[in-house]
Amino acid sequence: MPLEIALGDALVPGMLLVYLGCLLVLWAVDTIVGRYGLYRYVWHPSLFRVAVFFVLFGAAGLLLYP
Amino acid sequence: MKIQPQALLRFSITAVVVIVALVLGHALWRHYMYSPWTRDGRIRAEVIRIAPDISGLVTRVPALDNQEVKKGDVLFEIDPERFRIALQQAEANLAAAKASAKAAGANVDAVLASANARRAEYDMRQDQAKRRQELADVVPKEERTDAKSSADTALAIWQQAQASGHQAGAAREQAEAAVVQAQVAVDRAKLDLERTEVRAPVDGYVTNLDVRVGDYAATGSPRLALIDRHSYYIYGYFEETKLPHLRVGDPVQIRLMSGGTELKGRITGVARGITDRDNPTGRDLLADVNPTFNWVRLAQRVPVRIQIDEDSVPKGVILAAGMTASIDVQPRRVLDKEREQPQ
Repeated sequence: MPLEIALGDALVPGMLLVYLGCLLVLWAVDTIVGRYGLYRYVWHPSLFRVAVFFVLFGAAGLLLYP
Repeated sequence: MKIQPQALLRFSITAVVVIVALVLGHALWRHYMYSPWTRDGRIRAEVIRIAPDISGLVTRVPALDNQEVKKGDVLFEIDPERFRIALQQAEANLAAAKASAKAAGANVDAVLASANARRAEYDMRQDQAKRRQELADVVPKEERTDAKSSADTALAIWQQAQASGHQAGAAREQAEAAVVQAQVAVDRAKLDLERTEVRAPVDGYVTNLDVRVGDYAATGSPRLALIDRHSYYIYGYFEETKLPHLRVGDPVQIRLMSGGTELKGRITGVARGITDRDNPTGRDLLADVNPTFNWVRLAQRVPVRIQIDEDSVPKGVILAAGMTASIDVQPRRVLDKEREQPQ
């Protein structure tokens, strides 16, 4: 994964794409969890969502940029 | 109050996810802050400022701007006529000096011959005087005294001739030294004549050619820049927070801003000093300390010199000094893996 990506002639950090990807994944996870009503096993849904995002983003970032 | 098992489960699931998120977030932050890479790399090259060794009018400029030249190619030529004339003069001087050395040699011979004649004369007079002295009863006293003094005169004349001999020898040595001097002048004139052609000292590229036919080129004032084609290197300006994670010899991945070309390289050195920008000397020679924020501190950039692996430069890629590059220092484990592979 390159450290920087030319996005319409502007160099942006590759991390930005990872961030956007993680938002998409989070949206998918959120939809699935909401659909099956699994939020009843969660104490604080907003905090849970933020934490899940950081887990995704941290794991993806560390795996893609060793 | 009794805790519901359901509530405990809900709380612990959330807590675990939050803790994992905190750990991963912190790890990513550290990784991003301290992993040694920079987007602030500059390609640099050694530039030779070509200046003529002699002054004169420029008569020929065979080099073109941005042309690739080989070591020894003529870059421009200064009017050689003056130096040719100087060489002729020096050669004439040398011939004259040689002739006068020859004359001095002949003079020495002549003076030595005359000294020999004087010596013979002195011997004769001395013998005469001695004989007359022995015949004291027959020869009158006046005649004996005359003979003695003429022998003394002959001795003085001989000694004078000897002194002239020494003088002539010294004059010959002087003339010989003048020959050597004239020879040196000839060599120098030849060197000057050679230096009218300004040649490329290395293989490289002519840059900023600012010399035209008819210009007056003065000794020592640079007229064009020549970039050594084998001297390209990169200065990566790494934040000081990243410095502990790079070492001399680490392989690096270089990505040029132009076309995203990937090159390989190796760290060859870390600068051991940069200017302290917060402390210039102000008026009255007092320190002019820049007030900074208490909590926001900017990491300084320290130049790290990187040697480009010439084999990794693809054909057709143009490297120009001043281009921007991103530099990613390969982590140590990549290096270790490379080391394991050949075994």
